[in-house]
Amino acid sequence: MPAMLESLAVSKATLEAREVYFSYGSGDLLRGVSLVVEPGDTIAIMGRSGSGKTTLLKLLAGLLKPRAGVVRVLGCEVGHPCFESVRRRLAYIPQSLGLVSGASALYNVLLGRAASHPLRFLTGLWPRRAVEEALEALRAVGLDSKARSSVDRLSGGERQRVAIARALFQGASVVLADEPVSNLDADTAAEVAKLLVEPSRRGTSIIAVLHDQDIAFEFFKRVYLLNGGVLKEL
Amino acid sequence: MRGLVAILLAISAVLSAHLGLASPALYTKAVENAGRFLDLLGFRGDLLPEALDAVFETFVISLFGVSLGGLLAFLLAPLSTPLVAPPGLSWAVRAASSAFRTIPAVLWAIFFVILVGPGPAAGALALALYTSTYLVKLFYEALEAVERELYDSLRAIGIRGLPLAAALFTHVRKQVVSHVLFMLEYNVRTATILGFVGAGGVGYYILQYLSILDYAAVTTYVVVTVVFVVAIDVTSYLLRRRI
Repeated sequence: MPAMLESLAVSKATLEAREVYFSYGSGDLLRGVSLVVEPGDTIAIMGRSGSGKTTLLKLLAGLLKPRAGVVRVLGCEVGHPCFESVRRRLAYIPQSLGLVSGASALYNVLLGRAASHPLRFLTGLWPRRAVEEALEALRAVGLDSKARSSVDRLSGGERQRVAIARALFQGASVVLADEPVSNLDADTAAEVAKLLVEPSRRGTSIIAVLHDQDIAFEFFKRVYLLNGGVLKEL
Repeated sequence: MRGLVAILLAISAVLSAHLGLASPALYTKAVENAGRFLDLLGFRGDLLPEALDAVFETFVISLFGVSLGGLLAFLLAPLSTPLVAPPGLSWAVRAASSAFRTIPAVLWAIFFVILVGPGPAAGALALALYTSTYLVKLFYEALEAVERELYDSLRAIGIRGLPLAAALFTHVRKQVVSHVLFMLEYNVRTATILGFVGAGGVGYYILQYLSILDYAAVTTYVVVTVVFVVAIDVTSYLLRRRI
């Protein structure tokens, strides 16, 4: 049985971090962080600046490797060859949103399937159905009328929505978002947070790093505090 | 800054003496020669059609060079950066393009004249090769200057290889277009002298007229070339401003 399926057989968690330690060189930034995320979970991680929230999110996204401990996403351990295929079901929205500048909102959404359909992405020859699905994702976040607009011409809130639409189109099982509502006014922040957690109804797990307590407790089922390298549920 | 100016002044003074530039007699003679030379200059309107043809050939050589060179660079630049290619391969491609880049375009022109014979084809191939080595460097530097978070967000969802390169190129496309236009300007200037080694273009005609001491014809060619190069520079500048 392949490693990924074997692990899935014993755990239904979409994401697991067990006793994770991480250091950038001097002293551990994360000290024994553990987190189990089930399908449909919505988790907010809070903490002071520099507490390691973004680092934890990068570890969960497989962008960093822990010094000690294990991170598994969809049953596959970070660093294992199977993780490359797991990435296609993992959406990662960094604080700067990771949008391709100068390209349209539609292009940025279609990027969500560039890994699974590299030739379509390279040639731009997407089947009509895929384009319709991408437009549907933009419609879900209220941006279908701006599908052909350059993301550079969109407001901060609209750019956040494009990033969420990419995750929707990607069909991700896990969405990791770093400060998804920062720099937005209160109303827009609430709208974006609502859109972000919406896919959890269909079983997608959402993990977001947040600063805003009100947003965290209103929209997320579980809220954690990362302090002194230790993660505690509030 | 004053210290640097003083150092440059001292070096210039010492080397002027070493190179024989400190002798007043040298300048007296230079002024006399300039006068004689100016008497020989003129403008031959009858040569304008021929000069325009030659300049057009120079432009074609430059345009081909930047087109083929640009295509090669699009393929090689992603292979030159560890962001996209395995580190070993990227360093090998980077080292090879760096080595090729140290050879001036005029030497590549001599090489291609030997391979394919004299004419514009040799110049076009020389400029294509030279352009590709330069654009590879400019392109991979542009790719590597992309914000780390964009790269992370694409790698995190499994995008790698050519799709990753394509997305990064899209992100830096303004710089890429600007580099291509800059290389077109550069090629036009370089292509004017490739004719000196038989690789086609306006340089070939200038050399021929120089050899028979027809300075009026040379002046005509130089004026047409200068107007052409300035026109390309201005057009390229305006295009780059609009990007």
